[in-house]
Amino acid sequence: MKEQIRAFISEITFIDKETITDDVSLFEQGIFDSMGLLSLITFIDEEMGVKTDDGDLTEENFKSINTIVSFLERKKTPAN
Amino acid sequence: MTKPEFNKDIIKLKSISKTIEQITTKLKHDVGKVLKRRGAVVGISGGIDSSVTLAIAVKAFGAKNVLGVMLPEKDSNDDSKEFALKLAEKFGVEVLEENISGALEGFECYTRRDEAVKRIIPKFNPAKDKMKIGIPEAFINSNLPPVFFVTVVFEDGSEQSERLPMNEYLQIVAASNFKQRSRMTMLYYHAEARHYAVIGTPNKHEVQQGFFVKFGDGGADVMPIGNLYKTQVYELARELGIPNEIIERTPTTDTYTAEQTQEEFFYQMPFEMMDLLWYGWENNYSAAEVAKVLAKEEVEVEKIYKNFDRKRKTTEYLRLPPIHNY
Repeated sequence: MKEQIRAFISEITFIDKETITDDVSLFEQGIFDSMGLLSLITFIDEEMGVKTDDGDLTEENFKSINTIVSFLERKKTPAN
Repeated sequence: MTKPEFNKDIIKLKSISKTIEQITTKLKHDVGKVLKRRGAVVGISGGIDSSVTLAIAVKAFGAKNVLGVMLPEKDSNDDSKEFALKLAEKFGVEVLEENISGALEGFECYTRRDEAVKRIIPKFNPAKDKMKIGIPEAFINSNLPPVFFVTVVFEDGSEQSERLPMNEYLQIVAASNFKQRSRMTMLYYHAEARHYAVIGTPNKHEVQQGFFVKFGDGGADVMPIGNLYKTQVYELARELGIPNEIIERTPTTDTYTAEQTQEEFFYQMPFEMMDLLWYGWENNYSAAEVAKVLAKEEVEVEKIYKNFDRKRKTTEYLRLPPIHNY
């Protein structure tokens, strides 16, 4: 999942995959802006079947590849 | 030179008349000597920025060498015309009205915009309902880049807001930008027909935060108030004798069919506060020092500083001219 997300970010930003490390802050480092965030939301919906609710739009969920993966895993695991 | 201590008046002009004189002298030089044009065309909306710009142009070139052009379209606020006419009368300039609705119909501006809105809110009926886009309050203080929502105000007054996916957001913005670009085209028609320059009206925040349309309202030969904070634009307005009704008007976007202030759409805070925060950020005052003066929490100011930094970086594309040094 991590590699899929990294490849997507690299593809839409023209930034080398090696630069986009697991914990690099995507927004603070200027890798992603509003459009990047919107593209990612569409990507994880269409490619991974995960719908992002309004309440999910937090820095904790989208700060880095690591936090995005944790968010996706949580969303994919049905709540008990 | 040591930096003065940050205070609430730090942004106020030392001498308003001197500032007006400096801008006027430079404008005259830039238009006459650099651009070699003999007058000025200003698009007037009845708002504070275009009013001050027109008054400065009159000071620089004389009323007989300035043309004010009103550029309404079918979504424009009816009050705008009344204010623009009052302004033109006060400064004695020739004024023309060019309704751009027909051009916009030709570009399918409204159809393309409304199609995108309907994909998200199928009940939207553009003939009866109004729409706008904006950032809900809950997202304003987020550390994430802004995410826009579309709001439809139905005929009965009820509202529905939905988050905009990327394609619909981009389509609505791209379609709406036909408005500013059509206005620019018409202003250049009149400027070229008279050998005048187009005088742009954006202020410092619009330029620096990217609240303008590239080759739309950002398309002009000179921007005489482009380095002035909104507080300073108001200072100039009073000195220049801009009619009070214009000074007291709340700045609106006048872009979408539903009413919307600039604060609601883009800036997300009152301009007086934004001016001081931007000044503090731009002049490297610490968040702690600014927070103390403005009675805010330091973390809040830090967050706002970060947002400013992000806005300036992400809008750099708008300020760049075509890159041709290949």
